[in-house]
Amino acid sequence: MFYKVLDGVKVLEFGHLISGPFCAKILADLGAEVIKIEEPGGDEARKQEPFLGDIAGPERSGTFLYLNMNKKVITLNPATVTGRKIFAQLLAEADVLVENNSLKRMKTLKLTYTQIKKINPRIIMTSITPFGQTGPYKDYKGGELVNTQMGGVGFISTREPDTSKAPIKYPAHLFSYQAGLCAAVATMAALFYHRGTGSGEQLDISEQESTLIDVMNPVYNYSYTGHIASRAGVLTAAPTHLLPCKDGYIHNGFVRESHWRQFVNDVMGHPDWADKEIFKDYLSRAQHWDELRPLLVEWTMQRTVDEIYRESQGKRIPIGAVYTSAQVLQDRQMAARGFFVEVDHPQVGKIKYPGVPYRFSEISQDKPTAAPLLGQHNEEIYSRLGYSKRDLVKMEESGII
Amino acid sequence: MGTAYLKGIRVIACTWGWAGSWAGSVLSDLGAEVIKMESNQKLDNNRGHFKRGETGVNSGEFNFTNRGTKSCTLNMKKPESVEIFKKLVKISDVVITNYTPRVMPGWGLGYEVLKAVNPGIILVSLPGFGSTGPDHDYVAYGPTIQAASGLTWSHGHPGEEPILAGVNPADPAGGMYGVLSVLAALSYRARTGIGQHVDIAQSEGITTFIPEVILEYTMNNRIRPRMGNIDEIMAPHSVYPCKGKDKWVAIAVGTDAEWETLCKVMGKSELLKDERFSDRFTRWQNQDELNKLIAGWTKGFTPYEVMHKLQKAGVAAGASLNVEELINDPHVKERGVYIEQNHPEAGKSIVFRSPWTSALTATNPPAPMLGQHNDYVFKTLLGMTDDEITRLAEKKVIY
Repeated sequence: MFYKVLDGVKVLEFGHLISGPFCAKILADLGAEVIKIEEPGGDEARKQEPFLGDIAGPERSGTFLYLNMNKKVITLNPATVTGRKIFAQLLAEADVLVENNSLKRMKTLKLTYTQIKKINPRIIMTSITPFGQTGPYKDYKGGELVNTQMGGVGFISTREPDTSKAPIKYPAHLFSYQAGLCAAVATMAALFYHRGTGSGEQLDISEQESTLIDVMNPVYNYSYTGHIASRAGVLTAAPTHLLPCKDGYIHNGFVRESHWRQFVNDVMGHPDWADKEIFKDYLSRAQHWDELRPLLVEWTMQRTVDEIYRESQGKRIPIGAVYTSAQVLQDRQMAARGFFVEVDHPQVGKIKYPGVPYRFSEISQDKPTAAPLLGQHNEEIYSRLGYSKRDLVKMEESGII
Repeated sequence: MGTAYLKGIRVIACTWGWAGSWAGSVLSDLGAEVIKMESNQKLDNNRGHFKRGETGVNSGEFNFTNRGTKSCTLNMKKPESVEIFKKLVKISDVVITNYTPRVMPGWGLGYEVLKAVNPGIILVSLPGFGSTGPDHDYVAYGPTIQAASGLTWSHGHPGEEPILAGVNPADPAGGMYGVLSVLAALSYRARTGIGQHVDIAQSEGITTFIPEVILEYTMNNRIRPRMGNIDEIMAPHSVYPCKGKDKWVAIAVGTDAEWETLCKVMGKSELLKDERFSDRFTRWQNQDELNKLIAGWTKGFTPYEVMHKLQKAGVAAGASLNVEELINDPHVKERGVYIEQNHPEAGKSIVFRSPWTSALTATNPPAPMLGQHNDYVFKTLLGMTDDEITRLAEKKVIY
């Protein structure tokens, strides 16, 4: 008998944008049936770039298409009496509710955990908010930019000596995705424990806290020495930098002293300056980085990224190749592992998306089904709940679906 | 430890550095018994950073990433160690490792061997680039992986060169996918009785967090530029200077209503009539001028003052917190995110709890000292005698 990990698990998603939908996507990728509730007008992610061919439209957003593969969607206005009744029907049959709405909104919609528990005591309610369900900032607004700064990664976002430049966020919505993954992990643990027991619970996931995972070094450093890391301070830790090459950049990851020695001797061919006293250890190299950098760059600029990357890695030196998205898509390693998946969508056609990062030896990873069109599964789901096609027409006319 | 999600599950952690170790720590908070395999023959790199205490092997980094685990020393270069390891596999549920993929097979402990010893065993491996493919043995640290994912190229100020990030998001991403995979394989085994090998590439893990970077290319054949704090449509959307040295606050305005509120809080209602800022699109087009005007206001206040003023009125804003401010932040404190523990040798240590709260997630004791649980593992679990243990210690097997 062939199973998926979450075969038979029913997940209801009342999410929007990234963290909630990404959590539910991970559960869908593992085989759960995910029904996503979109309010009339649809998930805000449908309005997010990139759009195929720079033509905006609810079915053309790459962000939405990626986040909602393998799901079913229905439209529903939970603020109406009928909408609330349908929501309750769906809750009654669900194992998990994933949501990333403000506390205030869930309260207005009468969808607090206390209320939901009365409908279905065995439900696992995974709630993701910017700052969690408790504490003085629980009602504060978040989003990627604010979260990056409140989550401590912003203040040390770059390694540059000049702190007159503002801290920045990381590319796209990285930490919103990380919150979604943390939520999925907590949900999987709860499913493993509660499934079949009749018990359930609410899981409280704070986007700020899932971002704080990344602020490790500064915390233990502060804990033991009182040192406060800043964008400038990071430089002195070890001379690890990006260096320009003929066609891009490499990262010189000389983590151990042996990496540095091997690189100057075996890859660069032992230039005269390599034995200078000022380059003798990493502290000294960090202090004299302004003298060292041009010597390295003179050499790297004569070579391509891949030449330096392959030769160094062949000698087990952790040099990184700073790839553009185009190069990532062509990279032989990711290609060999079949990481990127092509998905055919009725409106945008075949597009390559990032796949999943894990391979199970006993479970084949099916090709994902394309993200659904707005309201695509209304008929299927609503007829399962006992509504006729005529009811659907009436509900649509009344602004309920 | 009472009731917890993974009560009764035993995990052997062949981990070092960040991603694998921290995955073990989270699994322990979820209730599993996590036994970290270590050896004096080659110490976890992290035991050497920020050394604390007399033995010099209780570092800050190690204590932060291994909280809640047990430590047992076994020198895998010795054939006897491999046999002892197998005995432990027999009574365990999971082996998790983030070594490069050649290491465990090199000891004679590849997945097929583990499976022969215990058919239900789950092996989760999370090397930088995965266990298959032409580059699977590449040496990978966080920055190496981020470079290969497209993240590094995309990080920086608009119009400038890429810049190295101050933190390494690839590590936690890899660790979290490791925990996810353990839970997935345990769920599968609970239903089918079948164990398996789950292989994760950390480079793929971090790429799943930046689909916009990939899709800009696969959809529009364009490389996503470095955008700093610029959003696709929101404006104002930036980090602004505040009163004090290197003090900043983030402000993000999505709707017209939030824009109105911002202007009122700033006491600049005249901006509402300014055509340059009259709708989302014009605000986005004129964001440089807009940002200057806002910076003129934020400079008069501390980051917290700006944040509270705006948040109370309904506009998203957040202080750019440094580590000291974070640990002392009233919200972070009330939620118990950082805990002060007393490590037997390293003393007072601030550690992080798992990044969610639920009734059954614990916050376990400090990281173990090297070999702290040898007696537990060798005597209690494996039933060895004191004589045997002494003999094996002399032969540097238990070492």
